[in-house]
Amino acid sequence: MMMTTGIDWVSQSWPWWAGGAVIGLLVPILYYLFNQGLGVSTGYATLIKAVLPRTPLRWFNSARFSDRWGWRLFFLGGMILGAVLANYLAGGPFVSTGMGILTSHLEWPLPLVGLLLFVGGFMMGIGARLAGGCTSGHSIHGLATLQVSSLLVTVTFILFGALSANLVRIFLLGGVR
Amino acid sequence: MMRMKSVVLLLGMVFGFALTRVRASEYDMIYRMFVGSDLTVAWVILGAIAVGLAGMKVLRMLGDRTIDGSSIKVSRKSLDRASLAGAALFGAGWGLSGACPGTVLAQIGSGRILGLFTLLGMIAGTYAYALVVEEEIHRSE
Repeated sequence: MMMTTGIDWVSQSWPWWAGGAVIGLLVPILYYLFNQGLGVSTGYATLIKAVLPRTPLRWFNSARFSDRWGWRLFFLGGMILGAVLANYLAGGPFVSTGMGILTSHLEWPLPLVGLLLFVGGFMMGIGARLAGGCTSGHSIHGLATLQVSSLLVTVTFILFGALSANLVRIFLLGGVR
Repeated sequence: MMRMKSVVLLLGMVFGFALTRVRASEYDMIYRMFVGSDLTVAWVILGAIAVGLAGMKVLRMLGDRTIDGSSIKVSRKSLDRASLAGAALFGAGWGLSGACPGTVLAQIGSGRILGLFTLLGMIAGTYAYALVVEEEIHRSE
């Protein structure tokens, strides 16, 4: 074959451009098929609504969450399944308690590592709602649709991500890169 | 509606599969992007923006129509001081946990169960937003 690249696309890591192309195509595909912008973080609100359908909080009772089992829930579920499949095909362990250098360099008990991750997740949960989107909604969908607000938000994401990761590097991981 | 949800499930699978294959599901890859020692994930994001931009351009040339002929309405993101504060909070959380709302699902799917803590934090943070911010907006109206 002319196109042999030496990569086993099913089970090996992809180069950045291949992943970028597949992920980027989701933006026009979601508009073409469903007139919806790519985005993940709103799905967490859909998830809460599905679990707590009678919540008195007004935001969950607004029109955008009127469908208890909204489509975003299926998108999030699909993402987990896709990763399960990718990991299975690559022969990765079904379950692991590792979290990269955070568990290999940091001699913290797992619950404490969990607390750190929970705090990071909490900040993202509130932050994404205040910002109006996350990496997919703003940085990919928003920039692919040339929105100035997404550019400013993305620059802020990167600056503060670099800040916190470098604080972790200096104060927790002994400067390892 | 059921057909939409099946297709969306499939597209989600493609997303989760790709995120795992470019290793965005690994804590170290996000960490290295933010400390500047490996920019693979940043290139993935830039590549996705470029392809998304080209794809939207193609849709525009085809008349900005969806498959059933209605006109495409791009979801517009507003900007105010609160959204930049939110972006700062989000970015700091991203750098701390080595995951974002999308890649945490790829983490969990690929067996990194500590990602469940990040996921729980995001659910709690989303709930806190509805409880504190949105309820306050309604009270002051």
